[in-house]
Amino acid sequence: MSYLNIRGLHKSYGTTNIFTDINIEIGKGQFITLLGPSGCGKSTLLRCIAGLTAVDGGQILLGGEDLVPVAPQKRGIGMVFQSYALFPNMTVQQNVAFGLRMQKVPAAEASKRVAEVLELVELSDYADRYPQQLSGGQCQRAALARSLVTRPRLLLLDEPLSALDARIRKHLREQIRAIQRELGLTTIFVTHDQEEALVLSDRIVLMNGGQIVQSGDAETLYTAPADAFAAGFIGNYNLLDAEAASRLLLRPVNSRVAIRPEAIQIAAQGIEGRILGHSLLGNVIRYRIEARGVELTVDVLNRSAADLHAAGQAVNLTIDNHAIREVA
Amino acid sequence: MSPAEKRSPLFHQLVVYLLFLILLLPLLGTLVYSLSTSWSATILPSGFTFKWYVALWSDARFLAAFGRSLLVCIAALALALLLILPLLFVVNYHFPKLDGVMNVLILLPFAIPPVVSSVGLMQLFASGPLPILGTPWILIGCYFTIALPFMYRAITNNLQAINLRDLMDAAHLLGASTWRAAFMVVLPNLRKGLMVSVFLSFSFLFGEFVFANLLVGSRYETLQVYLYNMRNDSGHFTSALVISYFMFVLLMTWAANRLNKDKS
Repeated sequence: MSYLNIRGLHKSYGTTNIFTDINIEIGKGQFITLLGPSGCGKSTLLRCIAGLTAVDGGQILLGGEDLVPVAPQKRGIGMVFQSYALFPNMTVQQNVAFGLRMQKVPAAEASKRVAEVLELVELSDYADRYPQQLSGGQCQRAALARSLVTRPRLLLLDEPLSALDARIRKHLREQIRAIQRELGLTTIFVTHDQEEALVLSDRIVLMNGGQIVQSGDAETLYTAPADAFAAGFIGNYNLLDAEAASRLLLRPVNSRVAIRPEAIQIAAQGIEGRILGHSLLGNVIRYRIEARGVELTVDVLNRSAADLHAAGQAVNLTIDNHAIREVA
Repeated sequence: MSPAEKRSPLFHQLVVYLLFLILLLPLLGTLVYSLSTSWSATILPSGFTFKWYVALWSDARFLAAFGRSLLVCIAALALALLLILPLLFVVNYHFPKLDGVMNVLILLPFAIPPVVSSVGLMQLFASGPLPILGTPWILIGCYFTIALPFMYRAITNNLQAINLRDLMDAAHLLGASTWRAAFMVVLPNLRKGLMVSVFLSFSFLFGEFVFANLLVGSRYETLQVYLYNMRNDSGHFTSALVISYFMFVLLMTWAANRLNKDKS
């Protein structure tokens, strides 16, 4: 039994379709990521669920109740914005307490709940600061606390990490996930960053051009892309057209083929190739290798500097058969 | 370091002080003149006195004019605030495209010289359904249009600095109605722009002469019209008036600055 059930949701501005016939089912306590390039409709979909943007058709059932006719104030949904959207005229404490003030929660209980949630996001020492006195990561934690304190039925996160630097981003995403698990909160997370999506989600909904391309867990999306778009968006797949694939694999292939760069190995024998160049990604070395007239990306674990192949060197490649995926 | 660079800070300071002196000189002259017993055929005044100020501040006509100026300015600004705040909110939140229209609209008071527009206003309001020429009402309405551009620009800049849409969305999701969100979240963040524009318009309107003289003149004597009517009186007396006026505006500006700094 799904907790959130989105059925046939449709939204357009004039003649421009933002998304059409969106169907998503989410179980209670699940962490779902809407992943896609910018302009794919994922943020608008999130705003529609929140009630900030009106939909043109379809249903949003939360615990059996259709949210479409319900005002955003009454939906019981918490949301975190990319821009934090903290109220600049209020301290962290007042920001977090705002939702409780609106619900007319008695002051004593409100201050207890605010203290609890600030503890949860590790901001207790910053309760009396104003947003402009906080770093980006602290701001986003305050915004998270503000959306959690009202005990929402559903938490929406609209690219909450995009404005932060890499180190803070990694730390905060783990914190968000831990809090979400602890509270058992049903969460929809919007991002254009495939790594974030793969690391965080119970399930990923991949969108493109206002439609759902593929929906599944991280493992499925990564190893079994549904089509060329999915393969191109997730990972760093080698996408070969039918002709190039036939040449490389020495067998007739009728459709495009996607091969993950780590599914190709440099071995003692196999397909003959030549190193074109490499880039060091840290723990992984990414080679560009030309084999049978096809340029391939090959990822190799960076074990030691002695193993590094120089440009121009001849190598042999083997390709895992089960990793060769024909995509439409 | 070259000699030119060494000299430059001193040189720059000198230029600034010189400019300051040039700008301040007429005011200083007026101040000294307003404090002197008489200063006509001599290089320096023959003696100093406060009698001109005493005479000015005990003149019932001056006090009345001062009060009228204050009243007209405050009424015009209150009207402007009352209209502009909801207007700005609607433009920025619901119809961002209207901003272009507003930008043209707020330029109009600048595009038409006061003498020209006051003639038009005189024609329009001398008779007909709204014969308010010569009453303070026409002045309030007219000053409102002058204050509009200042306030619109300052508050728009302020609104663009805060992320209005996201703030409103966040407040809505936390359970606030649009009204409550506007009052609790948006308005407090516009305080700075509001203060600056109100005091700027106030000091400008308080000294406005052309409209005041042409539209109401002596029928509703404001400070500037009073000054104009007193032009044939003692120069010491009018100097005292100018200095009093200047000090008042200075005080207002200083107070506004203080109020602004306290909280931010």
